[in-house]
Amino acid sequence: MAMTADDIGPTISLDGARKVRGNMTQARIRWMVVALVLGFGLVGGRLVQLGMVVPDNTIEGQARDAITATRPPILDRNGLEMAVDIRVPSLYAEPRRIIDVEEAVRGIRSVLPDLSEDWLRWRLTGDKGFVWVQRELSPAIQDRIMGLGIPGIEFLTESKRFYPGMSEASHILGSTNVDNQGIAGIERQMDHEDLALLQDLGLARGNALTPVNLSVDMRVQHVMHEQLVDAMTRYSAIAAAGVMMDIHTGEIIALASIPDFNPNVPASALVKDSFNRITAGIFEPGSIFKTVTMAAALNSGSVSINDQFDARYGIRFGRFTIDDFHGKHRVLSVPEIYKYSSNIGTIRVMQAMGKDNYRAFLSTMGFDARVPFELPEMRLPTVPKELSEVGAATASFGHGLSVSPLHMVTAYAAFVNGGNYIAPTLFKRDLAEAEPLYRRVISESASTDIRYLMRLNALEGSGTYMNKESLGYRVGGKTGTAEKVVDGRYSSTKVTNFFGSAFPMDNPRYAMIIMVDEPKRENERMGTTAGFNAGMVTGRIVQRVAPMLGIAPDFAPMIDENLVPPELR
Amino acid sequence: MFRNLNIILIFTSIIVLSSVYALKFSIENTASQRTALIALIDSQEGDLSLLKADEAVLNQPGHIEPIIKRHQLALAVEPVKQEQFGSFTAIPMRPAKPNSAAMDSLFLSLESGIDPIDAILELEGIE
Repeated sequence: MAMTADDIGPTISLDGARKVRGNMTQARIRWMVVALVLGFGLVGGRLVQLGMVVPDNTIEGQARDAITATRPPILDRNGLEMAVDIRVPSLYAEPRRIIDVEEAVRGIRSVLPDLSEDWLRWRLTGDKGFVWVQRELSPAIQDRIMGLGIPGIEFLTESKRFYPGMSEASHILGSTNVDNQGIAGIERQMDHEDLALLQDLGLARGNALTPVNLSVDMRVQHVMHEQLVDAMTRYSAIAAAGVMMDIHTGEIIALASIPDFNPNVPASALVKDSFNRITAGIFEPGSIFKTVTMAAALNSGSVSINDQFDARYGIRFGRFTIDDFHGKHRVLSVPEIYKYSSNIGTIRVMQAMGKDNYRAFLSTMGFDARVPFELPEMRLPTVPKELSEVGAATASFGHGLSVSPLHMVTAYAAFVNGGNYIAPTLFKRDLAEAEPLYRRVISESASTDIRYLMRLNALEGSGTYMNKESLGYRVGGKTGTAEKVVDGRYSSTKVTNFFGSAFPMDNPRYAMIIMVDEPKRENERMGTTAGFNAGMVTGRIVQRVAPMLGIAPDFAPMIDENLVPPELR
Repeated sequence: MFRNLNIILIFTSIIVLSSVYALKFSIENTASQRTALIALIDSQEGDLSLLKADEAVLNQPGHIEPIIKRHQLALAVEPVKQEQFGSFTAIPMRPAKPNSAAMDSLFLSLESGIDPIDAILELEGIE
């Protein structure tokens, strides 16, 4: 291109192409450096920021543990485990990953031959992602199945409830199902209370659950269970049950009912005949109810321990005549009525206080409601709302009403502890916690009289067989032989026998009810009344457990003499 | 100048890159160690729960009593009877202490040649 001088105006300096490019490159590099510094700065800043974040790993591991619903261990009052969680492998399959179903079926059945072949084939076929094959296996079986190396067959660790005491405390503990949820007993009660809430909140995971201390003493529980099993064979009975309670705190020390079940096999808990006879069984209590009548009358003040009642003739109510079993048919003093278990005398004692007052006393003792207690297996007692003349008469010696043995043990506890009703509990409770719950039902002096009567009956009355077994432990008690209703009438051969007792009588600490259902005579010299079976079982239990409970035998005759109320000395 | 800067930057990047990778792998390694440890703890907790359950079974009175009954002869044990219990009142009182001071003075006087009996015998007039 030609350039003329005319064209030259003011001087323009043009940079050479190289220089321009050089400048531009430098500018670009500068921008790039700025961009890089910014970028790295950003990343660095973010890193510093991330470094400052405190990670929240409270939720970690939840997904893995979600299936293991853990339960707190249950301990007895001395810390011995009654129920623990064990981790066991459960076998599951992922059918969509199984290549050869036939091979898998053959392999699994070689280790678990109990599984049905068709069921297993059906289970493993298809496109499902997860199916249970068999839950709660042993680690040995896990090793063998893992050794087969079948793809799509896996194990998952689950929590399983285990009861080391086997069937011994079955009715207390209850049972859990395969998903570790309580289905009976204290296990079910625990689910109803706090555990369910905890699990909902996602807190009841891991092993941090605090153990639950029950009031039960496994040593006493063992002896009671053993003696009841022994009673079943010794007397060819259809059932036997027993409960022991600390009369001051209301703690249940032992509670057993035979036939029972093995809580490790949950299905056996629902068998019909193995229900808890102590809480869910209601029975006509028979003569052990005379203690209630005596306590009511002595407390009312209308009867004193010195009084005498005419028991010469049976009492007529229309067509019925109520008479005594071993009738003395003479005028009896109050201790004699109790000692000879006189029906006539007891009716007279009840009539002296009036049937309406008597009925009101039954309500005071909680005989027309459930006993407030933790076990879910409870039945309402049947006590007539209003007592007719004859109804009150039969009720005074324990017929025409049905209550649970738990009602009776609670009543006996209140009668001998100085007259305070304390609701039983299965959880540990000390005296300071129990005292605010006391409700006075009979007076101190009536309680003293009842202690004397119960001890007197053991020394001279129907409790002598029991006393022979437990000499020195100052047991006092009352027998009750309730005739069963067979085809609408009372049977004289089928009876339910009770023995209500407390020991040691000089300073009572424990009350106990023992029940033997339909006993036969042990041998020719023995009878079928309660003193021969329920009474002797009581004696044998006390003989074994008293040393465990820290009660030393004492043969001093002074002890029994001191029990006699001053009015009778 | 830029060349030097570039060289420094390249080397820094390489060093940072390799250290980041090293960090990543070490973290992955730690994570897998952690997983392995969790699995180990888990299985050991499982074993522990079984051992605890075993211990609980062995501690049950219902487990111990049959064993004792089986070996009753060899062990020579049986349930305690009422007569075997004693009481504090049954323990006899501690016997009165001998009068040691009087004995000491007697022995001392005998040693020094004086027999207190001699004085009595003399008094009584017995030889």
